[in-house]
Amino acid sequence: MQTVKVNNQTHVVDVPGDMPLLWVLRDILKLTGTKFGCGIAQCGACTVHMDGQPIRSCVLPVGDVSGREITTIEAIGEQPLAQKVQRAWLDHEVAQCGYCQSGQIMSAVALLANNNRIDDHAIDQAMAGNICRCATYTRIRSAIQDVSESVGVWQP
Amino acid sequence: MRTLVYGLLAYLMTGAGMSLASEDAAMLEKGKYLAKAADCVACHTAPGKEPYAGGLAFELPFGTLYSPNITPDRETGIGGWSDEQFVKALQEGIGPEGDHYYPAFPYTSYTKMPREDILAIKAYLFSLDPVEQSAPENDIAFPFNQRWGLYFWNLLFLDEGRFEPDPDRSEDWNRGAYLVTGPGHCGECHTPRNLFQAMDSSERLAGADLGGWRAYNISGSDSHGIGTWTEEQLVNYFRQGYAEGLGVAGGPMAEVVDLSLRHLNDRDLRAIATYLKQTEPQATGLPRPTPLADTLAAPEQPGLGSKVFAEACASCHQWNGEGNQSPAATLAGLKTVHDPKARNLMGILMEGNPASSLPVNHRMPDFGTIYNDYELSALATFVLQHFGGLDAEVTPEQIRERQAAALH
Ligand code: FES
Ligand code: FES
Repeated sequence: MQTVKVNNQTHVVDVPGDMPLLWVLRDILKLTGTKFGCGIAQCGACTVHMDGQPIRSCVLPVGDVSGREITTIEAIGEQPLAQKVQRAWLDHEVAQCGYCQSGQIMSAVALLANNNRIDDHAIDQAMAGNICRCATYTRIRSAIQDVSESVGVWQP
Repeated sequence: MRTLVYGLLAYLMTGAGMSLASEDAAMLEKGKYLAKAADCVACHTAPGKEPYAGGLAFELPFGTLYSPNITPDRETGIGGWSDEQFVKALQEGIGPEGDHYYPAFPYTSYTKMPREDILAIKAYLFSLDPVEQSAPENDIAFPFNQRWGLYFWNLLFLDEGRFEPDPDRSEDWNRGAYLVTGPGHCGECHTPRNLFQAMDSSERLAGADLGGWRAYNISGSDSHGIGTWTEEQLVNYFRQGYAEGLGVAGGPMAEVVDLSLRHLNDRDLRAIATYLKQTEPQATGLPRPTPLADTLAAPEQPGLGSKVFAEACASCHQWNGEGNQSPAATLAGLKTVHDPKARNLMGILMEGNPASSLPVNHRMPDFGTIYNDYELSALATFVLQHFGGLDAEVTPEQIRERQAAALH
């Protein structure tokens, strides 16, 4: 039995402790907004927050998560900063097929939340681990720039 | 009355039978355990083939050797061997036909094992299913193909004889000494070899190169070995393949952890740690690094190396070298990121650590086929400079040479 706290709700799930968190999110808790891409921490599609930090849920055993707060794309919109990010995503029509986008948004929110100076280079460093086969990168960059300007952390 | 006598007889017979059977079972159990401690399976298994059926190639400076089949198949394995022959092979390095083995087979260590331990291993091997599979012929250049030469080599370098406990030392120390110098044969990789490919007894456990990898100094030295590791940290390393900020088993050592060490019981692992910490300090090789400030930020100047790091590495290892989802991914403090020759760094980048027995947050993908030699050399250079504070550079040529240096 494993205990996980996801989006402010505690769940006790009957799975082995070495099951990746992503499996639990998608298959047990039916939170399918978080996607599976590569399974080896190389694409970013499975990004969720653990205590506010972006992590790759495909390589995180659920047994290591107890006592931590997990936030997924389903609930991130409850945070004011994330609302701004989602707004900017719509304004820039960032998504193409959309498959990578929940991971992109989770990484972007963490970048904006954890830094008080953001420039293009910082965006590259934080977002490089999230890949997008539709190549929406330039729109992702503009959307993040917009938000960082509006919250006053943009360093042109 | 008759029934009673028969009953008694039957009772006696099954009783005796059972105690024999349970003795056999205990011997098998012991043999299985010792075979793990001796890691027989690592060398006697070819990739994708049956365990213990041999055929793994060893690229040595003087040619290619193939490990033999040690399953009980009578034709191609050791099914026809007597106890005597098996003991002689392990203690003296001499095969049933009087042929001398190359010391790639660590009989120079196994010679420490007493007859009963060796026969337990034999009993275990003979309990396996026989596999019919012959190893390719060894391809060894003259004069090394003249095996009689090994007679003289053995005179000089084989210290034939069983392990003798030291009565002045603790039971744990003695058990550790036996496991390390006997079945565990740690020195075969961790002790440098002399001109004649024999372990150099003046530099025991001081570290050595093999197949592009560096087997680090594991002597009791505080400055260069494992002297400052606690027993707990050593045991964790043996059991999980890493000790946070101290070492992560990669390449051949990852295999040792996977196939051998993690299967040993706590007492034995502790005994190995006790012994290693008290081995003669060897202050050679890479010194134990002091980790750089733990607040390393992402570099200001983008370059190819940091770009690849951002894409492929940062999500697990982070810019400050702290493991993100697991302490196993901690880079800060590892010798590997402080080695100007980048030996194990190149190895782990190219081969990864993909064993499926590892937890998901401990596995490392192999980037050898994903990135080319320019990208890999830039990445390795970045890692050495950023995490090791070194003024070192890894070139694409080094990456290509490393690719060619693989042991198997
Ligand atoms: S699915 Fe987790 S990083 Fe690709
Ligand atoms: S929008 Fe299609 S993969 Fe990114």
